[in-house]
Amino acid sequence: MDTPIYEIRSLNHSYAGKIVLSIEHLTVQPASIVGLVGPNGSGKSSLLRLLGLIERPTQGKILFNGRLVEPFSDEARFQVTLLPQEPFLMKRNVLNNVSYGLKLRGNGMDVGQRAKEALSLVGLPFKDFVRRPWSALSGGEAQRVALAARLALKPKVLLLDEPTASVDAASAQLIKEASLRARQELGTTLIIASHDWQWLYEICDAILHLFKGRIFGTGRETIIFGPWQKLGTEKWGKILSDGQRLLVPAPPNQEAAAVIDVWFVSEDGSTIAGEDIVLGGTVSRLSLERKTGQLFAAILVGDLSFTVELTSQQGKEHTLFPGKTIFIRYRLDQIKWI
Amino acid sequence: MKRLFLAVICLALIVYFLPVSSLAEEKVLLMATTTSTDNTGLLDYLIPKFKEATGIEVKWTATGTGKALKLGENCDVDILMVHAPAAEKKFVADGFGVDRREIMYNDFVIIGPAADPAALKGKSIKDALQAIKAQQAIFASRGDNSGTHKKELSLWKAAELPVPEKETWYVQTGQGMLATINIAAERSGYTMTDRGTYIKYEDNLKGNPPLKILVEGDAALLNQYSVIAVNPKHCAKAKYDLATQFSEWIAGAEAQQLIKDFKLLGKQLFTPNAKM
Amino acid sequence: MNFLLEGFFQAFDLLLSGNAETYSAIWATVTVSSYSIGSSLLIGIPLGFCLGYFDFRGKKPLRTIVDTMMALPTVFIGLLVYAFLTHRGPLGNFALLFTLPGIAIGQTILALPIVIGLSATAVESLDPKLRITIMSMGANRRQLFISSLWEARHGILAGAIAAYGRVMTEVGISMMVGGNIKWHTRTITTAIALETNKGQFGMGVALGLVLLAIAFAVNVSVSFLRRRD
Repeated sequence: MDTPIYEIRSLNHSYAGKIVLSIEHLTVQPASIVGLVGPNGSGKSSLLRLLGLIERPTQGKILFNGRLVEPFSDEARFQVTLLPQEPFLMKRNVLNNVSYGLKLRGNGMDVGQRAKEALSLVGLPFKDFVRRPWSALSGGEAQRVALAARLALKPKVLLLDEPTASVDAASAQLIKEASLRARQELGTTLIIASHDWQWLYEICDAILHLFKGRIFGTGRETIIFGPWQKLGTEKWGKILSDGQRLLVPAPPNQEAAAVIDVWFVSEDGSTIAGEDIVLGGTVSRLSLERKTGQLFAAILVGDLSFTVELTSQQGKEHTLFPGKTIFIRYRLDQIKWI
Repeated sequence: MKRLFLAVICLALIVYFLPVSSLAEEKVLLMATTTSTDNTGLLDYLIPKFKEATGIEVKWTATGTGKALKLGENCDVDILMVHAPAAEKKFVADGFGVDRREIMYNDFVIIGPAADPAALKGKSIKDALQAIKAQQAIFASRGDNSGTHKKELSLWKAAELPVPEKETWYVQTGQGMLATINIAAERSGYTMTDRGTYIKYEDNLKGNPPLKILVEGDAALLNQYSVIAVNPKHCAKAKYDLATQFSEWIAGAEAQQLIKDFKLLGKQLFTPNAKM
Repeated sequence: MNFLLEGFFQAFDLLLSGNAETYSAIWATVTVSSYSIGSSLLIGIPLGFCLGYFDFRGKKPLRTIVDTMMALPTVFIGLLVYAFLTHRGPLGNFALLFTLPGIAIGQTILALPIVIGLSATAVESLDPKLRITIMSMGANRRQLFISSLWEARHGILAGAIAAYGRVMTEVGISMMVGGNIKWHTRTITTAIALETNKGQFGMGVALGLVLLAIAFAVNVSVSFLRRRD
């Protein structure tokens, strides 16, 4: 087992007195692809900035290749790069944006050639774009240029914060492809925060679920947020848009989120055992988890999306396809609160 | 772009430090004088001749009399040319100045509208001021502690009248002589001015100004100019020898004749009266 | 009223006939404002940058002080500088009173709060993603500082232009510290004051227009620089 490229120990990071991240232990393997999912405000961007070695954690350690590395140190500067949320370029033309980092490294490499290669990776023809000023690019083009600037550096680690969020579909596609190629050709470790669950499930070796600064689970569970209603004596839950009732045990407070592990799907809606809650829904997405060969299904119940992990065997058994009506089951006593 | 920027900065820095070095050497005399003196143009006429004769360059700053005396006291100048005898004598008594030398005089006049509502024409200055007070005629005063202003105040005192500080007909402008004359003209009132400024004013209005000379020639209206060297005992750095050379030159026959010959718009302005 | 028209024609006459006094005043104005702008930018931009960039205790009160000093009256500054430069004052030995460098010192004090304040604002308006971008590209602290400064250039330039306008047109400092000495420290603005005092309003207007022409020329060249960016 190689040294993990990242190891986080007892991390407690705060801004203005508020704790935004609390991670006891986490490792990332070199050349792996890790996904980060979670609602806005869950601490994804903060975690990426810490992993990007741009900030120092207020408490705890982040080891890079087994060593403690400070911001502005050589390793931090030349091996790790972060693409922030929302396209952003410096106030100069495309070529100067892409070659900025290359020029900082000196050593007489052919800056023009590297820039050209990087731009072609993101699908921007050199001749048309090289002299364009930063203000003359669309959001998608700008994000691609920003990515090209980082790819040109051939970094060991590439951190992407919602890379396809504010971008048109064509650019999003190019960005996804370019990031993957970096991993394939250079062995770059990718850590990607995104709301595009489908893409993440497709490419990631591991997905981390972040909520209120804590990592939990493997991304296979479903999280449902409050507020909660009392639906009867001893019964709590939500009334869904299609009238079905999502039942949960008494929540500790209105802000708590329920972690629901769907353990069974079936084509009939009858209850098997007393503790099961059964809900009817429609299959909205099916993805294959590359590494394990497992199937992931997203099932729409009312306006909530439930994640279910299935073996491909089960998939064949139930002949799942998007749009199919299916029933999910979960156990009340297995619900965890966070 | 960046290089051009840096080059401009470097050039600016070089130019910055050049002149400061060249200041020290030549013979330069710093003089403080009053705005009314400067405005006559006498210095522009005399000073070049002084430079020819002695090689000394004179730089003069024109301010109000009060400030000129203050500059002398603070050792910021080497010599004064002012026209406020009482204040000058105090300046010397206080030890700030030495070698006070009277060099020339001109006179003050009272001017007013041609219609002359207070009937000042031909009166003595004492009678004129009393008439103004009696009629409550509009009178514009410099009100700025200048030589002219101090003169005016002394005339009120000599006429045994209190200075009309808060009277509505007494307009204190706090400004220069020409500005004060203009204000008097706007209000069709009277004012006291030195003859030199009046000649210029007359010329500005092509020989037909709304205000005419009504009272002149009274001995009390004399305006005596003097030069005073700044006391080297009080100011170690004062260029006393250069100041002395100027003082002696301007009291000398040649300069006194030049002063007599100085005409403002065809009229003689100053009467030389240096005692040698 | 007709002195306005008179002044307009006189302005052309002064410039085209090569009137020595006018050109001496132009030279004095250009020289002294260049000194002042040069020094205030050199001192003010780094200070303003630090004020905007770093967080420290007392940052807010300091910023308030800087903003207040933008409203210092020129005669007041002139008086202060005179107090220091007079022969009986602490800096009297440098013989800076009644010289152009002396005026420049006063004008630098005038311009500094403007440059500092507007540079700080320019830096504060920088996108936080800039820091992430520059650091990700591999910059060290010094390179981060310089690149951030360059990114803030538009705001800083606006500050420089504002300071320049203030410096070129002030009278209080030039008069008190310079003494309005003909051929030496008579600037266009002090010359205007003198001419108006002498009742030569037409001349005052003429000189005012000359000053405007110079300011215009400078701003045209600045906008030319801007366009190339």
